[in-house]
Amino acid sequence: MAAAAVVRGIGSNLSKNLREVRLHLCQISAASQGTRDFIEQHYVTLKTANPEFPILIRECSGVQPVLWARYGFGKEHSISLDNMNADQVAKALESVVNAKP
Amino acid sequence: MLRLPAVSRALAVRTSARASSNMVEVFVDGKPVMVEPGTTVLQTCEKVGVQIPRFCYHDRLSVAGNCRMCLVEIEKAPKPVAACAMPVMKGWNILTNSEKTRKAREGVMEFLLSNHPLDCPICDQGGECDLQDQSMMFGADRSRFTEGKRAVEDKNIGPLIKTIMTRCIHCTRCVRFASEVAGVEDLGTTGRGNSMQIGTYVEKMFMSELSGNVIDLCPVGALTSKPYAFTTESIDVLDAVGSNIVVSTRGGEVMRILPRLNEDLLKYENILSPFTHTHLQGVQGSEVGAIAGGMVDAEALVALKDLLNRLDSDTLCTEEIFPMAGAGTDLRSNYLLNSRITGIEECDLMLLVGTNPRYEAPLFNARVRKSWLHNELQVAMVGHKVDLSYSYNHLGETTQVLQEIAAGTHPFCKVLAQAKKPVVVVGSSALQREDGAAIFKAVSTIAQNSRASSGVEEGWKVLNVLHRVASQVAALDLGYKRGVDAIRKNPPKVLFLLGADADCITRADLPKDSFIIYQGHHGDVGAVMADVILPGAAYTEKNGTYVNTEGRAQQTRVAVTAPGMAREDWKILRAISELAGVTLPYDTVDEVRRRLEEVSPNLVRYDDVEESNYFKQAHELSKAVNQSLLAAPLVPPQLTVKDFYMTDPISRASQTMAKCVKAATEGAASVDEPSIC
Repeated sequence: MAAAAVVRGIGSNLSKNLREVRLHLCQISAASQGTRDFIEQHYVTLKTANPEFPILIRECSGVQPVLWARYGFGKEHSISLDNMNADQVAKALESVVNAKP
Repeated sequence: MLRLPAVSRALAVRTSARASSNMVEVFVDGKPVMVEPGTTVLQTCEKVGVQIPRFCYHDRLSVAGNCRMCLVEIEKAPKPVAACAMPVMKGWNILTNSEKTRKAREGVMEFLLSNHPLDCPICDQGGECDLQDQSMMFGADRSRFTEGKRAVEDKNIGPLIKTIMTRCIHCTRCVRFASEVAGVEDLGTTGRGNSMQIGTYVEKMFMSELSGNVIDLCPVGALTSKPYAFTTESIDVLDAVGSNIVVSTRGGEVMRILPRLNEDLLKYENILSPFTHTHLQGVQGSEVGAIAGGMVDAEALVALKDLLNRLDSDTLCTEEIFPMAGAGTDLRSNYLLNSRITGIEECDLMLLVGTNPRYEAPLFNARVRKSWLHNELQVAMVGHKVDLSYSYNHLGETTQVLQEIAAGTHPFCKVLAQAKKPVVVVGSSALQREDGAAIFKAVSTIAQNSRASSGVEEGWKVLNVLHRVASQVAALDLGYKRGVDAIRKNPPKVLFLLGADADCITRADLPKDSFIIYQGHHGDVGAVMADVILPGAAYTEKNGTYVNTEGRAQQTRVAVTAPGMAREDWKILRAISELAGVTLPYDTVDEVRRRLEEVSPNLVRYDDVEESNYFKQAHELSKAVNQSLLAAPLVPPQLTVKDFYMTDPISRASQTMAKCVKAATEGAASVDEPSIC
């Protein structure tokens, strides 16, 4: 599955440029299904490879799924994960990992 | 003990559609109303909007029926009935304002007032006294009283409750409360008729963590608040339950706090004037760190985090430790009371690990006791043996026991496997230990195993963490690091203490020329070692967001303005950020809250609990933890009632709390009270 490959690709590099990653999602809405799947299937792998890195998963009913990335000096960037599937969520994560702040 | 059998709980709102077919039709003053069978006359009238006067009835206590004030006439019945105790029958017509009902009320009121002293002008309860209100509404307008009144000696039941027993009307609410809710069977009635007295009979103090609640329960001025009486001070304890309160103020002082649903109380001395000076310009990265204490609101926490993040620092810690290993605080389900406080009433088996909920979260304990009394809840505990006000199965206090339960070899596992709705609660004090991660792993395993066993439904959550400090959950939601290890490893040159008074880091841990800034409202330890003190506002002085141990965000509102030059904490941080050259992008509370929403949207969902999931993932990660359990027994920090009163800087600064500790250790007579009438 593409998401698994992407996650493997990220490996332990989450902390390369990033300081913190936040995932906002709704527990039941269809728009967050991809994000939910991503967490279910790949969070453990990601965290095991990056045990000290904060990946905050914050579920809240009715919110639009969003990926927030925090870089050094408080700079933050967000990507909407609305209606994305797990593969696209993984791609979004990859893009923030590789982006320079 | 004066008690009639409790009216069954069938009157609660949770009835299925099936029950509607056997609803009973009753008439209140001719108006028809449908109620479930078992509803009392008083509840039926309340449903229609008619309030029947009463003294002894309380909807949270068992029914006594001894004041007789609720007597109402039923059409065609020979005698009036006690509305609080009589279940309705089909076709009854309840006459709440007929001649007979009114005569009954006047008569009862006349009797109650015959022995009641003429203390209204000097009584603390004046203006909020049930007796005054009901005698105005339902009593006779003239007195026929020419005899002498009886008088009763005052009892000394502790430094919080002032007793003037002459005013007591023997409703026995305090007796039932002490016995049922607090679990402390100290209060009772002695004698009968004219010489009946309520008290402890022997010189005993009413020493319970819930003792102050009887002040609110007593309908007359017999039990009042000793600290509040005739003075301008009152006191408090704050825990992670986030109990709802109403704050009464006069002038600029918090006078007392009344419960909304539950209870808190408070007194304080504030740090009044700031020193304005900052070393934050020119500092970066790991040179600056921060520690957040136990009573900080979410707005201040996010402002501090943003400030430090902009200085390229991630060294933000909470005083309370929480295991970092495994999923840590990524998944909310790892650190919340997932079953919620209402879930306690549904569960059938509870396992407490390393916690003494009686003193760490008294209202949580009261719920457990309620469930133990009415819903046959079984409780088991791994930890030091303490008196919880209800009986429980003490499995032991060593970590060995915990390991055996996790491994499935302990006999208790069979009981756990059969439970339909088990709940495992681990106290945050147990997680503060060196082997906290291992304890969490064991508890997580136990929770997962019992979930997998027979009968537990899909949506039921087993794992719960009971926190002790009000700001911990919000800090974890925002992404703070837990425990001051990060600071110990890389001691910063500038340390920001936000209400941090637990003595986790001292000057000795920091480099020689380090600069410490303390911001808070009641500094004791933290303020003493700081170079700069910035006065902040206490929770009664600001609009702050706090998240309780269930994950429920709630707001405090301004009851008094902060004294001197104290300001709301986030505003101070915003000002500092401007001076330091990294201005924070918010100027109003709403903007701060929008920022809170960006970090963790549940923080602005006030009064709601957001479900959190991914237990399986959390468990998988915790399995990878390689720590082993230490042999030290699990002993919670608060064991007896004398440990209850001085747990945070606000209570440590309180005179009344000091009196409580003295009374608890040396007896009621040891506390010196000024004699007032």
